[in-house]
Amino acid sequence: MTQTIALLRPAVPPMLKDRVILITGGSRGIGRAIVEAICAAGGRAAFTYQSRKADAEQVVRQVSGEGGGALAIQADIRDFKRTQAVVAETIEQFGRLDGLVNNAGITRDKALMMMSPEDWQEVLDTNLTGTFNACRAAIVTFMKQKAGRIVNITSVAGLMGAERQVNYAASKAGIIGLTRSLAKEVAGYGITVNAIAPGYIETGMTASLDAKRLEAARTQIPVGRFGRAGEVGSLAAYLLSGAAGYITGQAVVIDGGLTL
Amino acid sequence: MAERKIDQDVMALIADILEMEPGKIDPNAHLVEDLGMDSMMALEILAGIEKRFKIKVPEQDLPMITSVNRAIELTKKYVK
Repeated sequence: MTQTIALLRPAVPPMLKDRVILITGGSRGIGRAIVEAICAAGGRAAFTYQSRKADAEQVVRQVSGEGGGALAIQADIRDFKRTQAVVAETIEQFGRLDGLVNNAGITRDKALMMMSPEDWQEVLDTNLTGTFNACRAAIVTFMKQKAGRIVNITSVAGLMGAERQVNYAASKAGIIGLTRSLAKEVAGYGITVNAIAPGYIETGMTASLDAKRLEAARTQIPVGRFGRAGEVGSLAAYLLSGAAGYITGQAVVIDGGLTL
Repeated sequence: MAERKIDQDVMALIADILEMEPGKIDPNAHLVEDLGMDSMMALEILAGIEKRFKIKVPEQDLPMITSVNRAIELTKKYVK
């Protein structure tokens, strides 16, 4: 009997019970895994998607039985006013906002000599300006309530650089600078700001990379495999929780030892 | 709520945040230029006003808090 009760008990304590988290870019890949991890930890997730409505609706259906469920909001986070409206809609729908995950990101990989100014700008606008927009839109709410969690998804490319990714790596390095600066600025308000720097994670983004390059990368990972999106999701859920209150301004690397 | 009470409460709240005696603050003095208020203090004043008067002041009104009198004006706009 005791054994049966132990088996029924959830393996993960609901560390985000009743917390409301906004995630940008939550319809697939790492963002989707973060939405799932938040709901599995008892939280409620509002997430943005840009064009994949069917994917977004599927995520909402999938997590509907867990935590407080999810809300999908179509939005382009490059647009500051729209991002402000997303924050307002989340608060209106769920009654509060406890955390923000800036995940929405794109790649336009090319050698610099082939990269157009548009390739550069699009990546910077989505990855870095989008992160600024969402932080700016949510920060006053967090400061007023003297509590908040911000998690920015960066990349090991932002720490080490990556060939054919000067735009992406620059945007991700910029996110780390933003993270550290904002962490210092708002620490006194009970707000933590951290970044997660994943290495190679099995997602649509890595699937689009050249197969030879992927195989070469795999041999460089001490753990011997690519990471799983769920592993990044679990880390994000932890950083969003009350348990992580003494961690701020960090870029937590999750790469199977790639950068060692 | 009596207008005089709002005046007194907003003054007391700002004096508390600026760590000054209420009587020593010129209600028309510029909070940033004359009294050394920073943007964080402005937010604390806004949050304090919201809490004290149980009102919601839009974030866009934050730059309006430039003096005690402007803060009082803003508070009266939202207190019914």
